[in-house]
Amino acid sequence: MIGFILADLRRFKGGALAVVVLIALSLALSVTVTLQERALRLGSARAAEKFDLVVGAAGSETQLALSAVFLQPAPLPLMSGSVLADLASDPRVAFAAPVGFGDSASGHPVVGTTTALIEALSPKLAQGALFAHLGDAVVGSDVGMPIGGQIKPMHGDGESGGPVHTELAYTVRGRMAPTGTAWDRAILVPIRAVWQLHGMHGGGDDHDEDDDDHHPDDEGAQAGDATAAGPVAGAAQDKAPGLADAGGDRDHEGHAHHHHGHVDGNAPIDEHFDAQTPGIPAVLVKPRTIADAYKLRQHYRGDTTLAIFPAEVLTRLYATLGDARSLLLAIAIATQGIVLAAVLMVTIMHVGARQRQIGALRAFGAPRYSVVAIVWGELILLFLLGAVLGVALGYAAARLISGSVAARTAVHMPIEFAPQDLRLLLGFLLASMLISLLPALLALRHSPAQALRA
Amino acid sequence: MLALDIHDLTMRFDGLDAPVLAIDRLHVKAGSRVAVTGASGSGKSTLVHLLTGLERPKAGSIRWGGSDLGRLSTGRRDAFRARNIGLVMQDFHLFPGLSALENVLLPVRLGWRMTPDMRKRALALLDITGIARAGQPVETLSRGEMQRVAVARALLLKPSVIIADEPTASLDRRAGEDVSALLVRLAGEEGATLIVVTHDPALLTRLDRHIHLDGGRIVEDVRGEAAR
Repeated sequence: MIGFILADLRRFKGGALAVVVLIALSLALSVTVTLQERALRLGSARAAEKFDLVVGAAGSETQLALSAVFLQPAPLPLMSGSVLADLASDPRVAFAAPVGFGDSASGHPVVGTTTALIEALSPKLAQGALFAHLGDAVVGSDVGMPIGGQIKPMHGDGESGGPVHTELAYTVRGRMAPTGTAWDRAILVPIRAVWQLHGMHGGGDDHDEDDDDHHPDDEGAQAGDATAAGPVAGAAQDKAPGLADAGGDRDHEGHAHHHHGHVDGNAPIDEHFDAQTPGIPAVLVKPRTIADAYKLRQHYRGDTTLAIFPAEVLTRLYATLGDARSLLLAIAIATQGIVLAAVLMVTIMHVGARQRQIGALRAFGAPRYSVVAIVWGELILLFLLGAVLGVALGYAAARLISGSVAARTAVHMPIEFAPQDLRLLLGFLLASMLISLLPALLALRHSPAQALRA
Repeated sequence: MLALDIHDLTMRFDGLDAPVLAIDRLHVKAGSRVAVTGASGSGKSTLVHLLTGLERPKAGSIRWGGSDLGRLSTGRRDAFRARNIGLVMQDFHLFPGLSALENVLLPVRLGWRMTPDMRKRALALLDITGIARAGQPVETLSRGEMQRVAVARALLLKPSVIIADEPTASLDRRAGEDVSALLVRLAGEEGATLIVVTHDPALLTRLDRHIHLDGGRIVEDVRGEAAR
């Protein structure tokens, strides 16, 4: 029986192959949609799980979550540094780490923070040590810079070609273990170095001196500029780079002026923050208990600050994405329906053209059920091959997409099969089994005598 | 070995006034070798289909031994044919992509009646019919060889009846001679009743009863020496 089926399929190689490819492609579409949506959800849930609570200046919750979790460059408003000081001394907080965005080096975001965050992200460093001086840096696992290497931070996200900070070059001291998050691509430096590099010493000592010099262009509203802008959110967020260019050494077209302080790279870091602390876009908070997390969120939801659970914000975001997935999946399943119909049509025509052979089989003693089994078996074999190929193709495509996302953002998007995928696949196979019965039964419609006479 | 008895058989097709086949009475002794001749449209093919149970008679009876084909369901006629009738057709109906041996065994395999003995018998039959390599793909054989494979297939289950429809018509003279000799010899050795539709004079001389059909009726029935 199997031998006959295989010999038969070999005779109709081209057609059989076309049918298999058709089935495979339609199935691959659903597989990719399903896997990729799950990867996105799992990947970002894992990326977010390190950050229980994020506190930032009042603004967009989604933007705050995306910036903190995915390091997405965006103009975040600043909040008063005193928030950090309060959080740091709050008994409900295990640790509170400021994050300051704005600079980049070789396409990697340079993030100002404290050693507490590094220890949270990577309890054991893969290489080297934490930073101890203002000029030290710890890089994420995906940053291809050697220990001891020099990093010249550049203002902006690197794509818009901001000026290079010449006052300070960081030295790579350590490398974090892989975290599967966007932080793998980040260069972490002491927050105070970032402040000083941008002339922010806290207390609002030097800004708003020469508004004439200010270019209110859109470039000025970039994340970097916003970060560097000023200590108090209210003072800075609308006209972000309202800083005097004290050195007078830079006045790039289209760029706001920066106050460039002098930074002593060998000065020890100071991770105690008080009310004089300069403004920051966000503080990552690790509450001691779940109850504390909710209390803290409640406490920092106010007129000037915003507190979010990134995981919750992302879940809400993916609820919207889930609708998109349903739509895509519906399209993919409709495609499968069309393919099934096409395969059905091809097979019915094929069976019609083979009436003679089928009649002969019966004339020479093959029972009717084996004729049905042959036609059915051939189709099922094609469907199975198509299914295997389709799942493999879909998996490969999802891996490819995840790979390119990981290369771009360092967010690890795991491609995993789940038990409900099996249900989907079994449903497809069951449908194909039922549908294949039709041409199989049609094969019996003509009497073998008619078939032989033709 | 089965005897054939036909009574009051008429076969009509829709839209035709005259019956395609009308045989009041025909008896064929078990083990005899009968030729059926007649012009195109004389009802030969219909007779073959009725005798093999591929079609059910609309009126009258066709009995092989004790089995009345008209009273059997399609499935049971299929089963009867598979068990009792070896069929050889003008254009072989071998299945390309399979070897000679696989072709001989195909009906048995598809009927789930395969046994090791069956394989031995198939090889022996291929040997007898002069197929040197049983594993050779059937589409690479000559036409004469193809028909000999078909003969081996027809004989595999030791059928009581062998029915051949123009078995030599698509072969050249020599291959036709070989197949004719083989068919008649093996039917004799196996003790099967042989009914052959043919116009091949060389084959006709090997058969000892000639039935001539015209317009669906038996117009001539010659036996014994006279037939040759």
